Amino acid sequence: MVEINLNRRQFLKLTGATAATLAVVELGFNEKEVHATSKEFKIAKTNVTPTICAFCGVGCGILVHTDDKTVVYTEGDPDSPVNEGTLCSKGTTIRQVYTSEKRVTKPMYRAPGSDKWVEKDWDWMYKTISQRVKETRDKSFVVEENGIQVNKTEAIASLGGAALDNEETYLLAKMMRGLGVTYLEHQARI
Amino acid sequence: MATEYVKYVDVTKCDGCRACMVACKNWNDLPAEPQDFLGTMQSHANVSADTWNVLTFVEHENSEGKLDYLFRHSSCYHCTDAACEKVCPENAISYTDFGTVVIDQDTCVGCGYCVQNCPFDVISLKTYKDKNGDEYRKAHKCTMCTDRLEEGLQPACVTTCHTEAMEFGEKEAMIKKAEKRVQEIKDRYPNANVYNPKGVGGTHTIYVLTEKPSVYGMPENPKVPTSAVLWKDYAQPIGKAMVGGVAMALAGAFVANKFFDKKNNQENRDGGGSHE
Repeated sequence: MVEINLNRRQFLKLTGATAATLAVVELGFNEKEVHATSKEFKIAKTNVTPTICAFCGVGCGILVHTDDKTVVYTEGDPDSPVNEGTLCSKGTTIRQVYTSEKRVTKPMYRAPGSDKWVEKDWDWMYKTISQRVKETRDKSFVVEENGIQVNKTEAIASLGGAALDNEETYLLAKMMRGLGVTYLEHQARI
Repeated sequence: MATEYVKYVDVTKCDGCRACMVACKNWNDLPAEPQDFLGTMQSHANVSADTWNVLTFVEHENSEGKLDYLFRHSSCYHCTDAACEKVCPENAISYTDFGTVVIDQDTCVGCGYCVQNCPFDVISLKTYKDKNGDEYRKAHKCTMCTDRLEEGLQPACVTTCHTEAMEFGEKEAMIKKAEKRVQEIKDRYPNANVYNPKGVGGTHTIYVLTEKPSVYGMPENPKVPTSAVLWKDYAQPIGKAMVGGVAMALAGAFVANKFFDKKNNQENRDGGGSHE
């Protein structure tokens, strides 16, 4: 039989070590709990904004989840009577309208006859556009046609983008109608 | 045990829009994987580490000699007896209370046993690089959005499905629904059946199919590989017991040795030990 001879010092050392080990294992540290809190639910702290899908005329409701910086997630709006929370494959991608790397975030200008896009600043863009619109509209404006008041210009056309949302298209259409633009189109194709 | 849930997929209602694929990428933040044209409508040949579900398109000549165009949402089946869970040497794969099968990314060492043993071929490895430039791998597959389930939401693919081809609900109710649906479509599809294979103890994604599973490229009788059963249920416990035994013996020997030595040393120092 193994005889364990412990003097007082050894006995104290052993009991101390055992108590310390137990304290770490049993009391202070719950591995599972730490693991659980390290992964927070993706949309736990997001702001939710309802919007209308921009891609076609059906008008599905979408909830946009955002944090301080970016769009975190988008999902069909369950309260929308149009889609009742569902979405098609295209509507599901709408988050990329904001987050895509391919998105153009600076004004680009292509001069008449040129085949190159050049980056311009907003001031130059606003000024040039308003000048040219005014010039073209003044030159081409038709007040009356066949005895009917028409107040239109056929020299300007507007092409809306599929990624414009409901409010943007409203404003765009309002402004173009105000200018007398009749060629008012949208490129949406589903 | 909490209630088990099942994802019910009725392929007769699927219109092949692929919203489930996109919704999966959207929720799980998975990057796009550009593919070459496969010659059919199908976008990806199979699921991968970054594409957890794929809509398969099968052109099939039915018994009347007419073309059937078959769509199917295809992802992890979440087996009741999951081969991947059995073979994982790190116990990184586990069952949840919902009946889903999930891989713990922190524990996974990327050995690939689960990839080889999955009867449905739905697990894939992805290679990453750490900050030293060394490569390491992790296994990925559909989680059935277990993080969403925990918060009372349904999986992203089910939520987005606009034809009600997919539903999520309690296991018994969904199985009943599937059986009822098969009876409804028997006139139109005489080969209609419920896919809930018994060889893996049933699955937590069940299908209403219009044709035999093999037509859809699914295994007719998937089974947990015998080697996996042997490994998990026999070899591993015995191995662990042996490792434990050896460890205990080593520890015992160490302790005994130490104190014996002390005793001897002390005796030596006292000069009480015999010299010859």
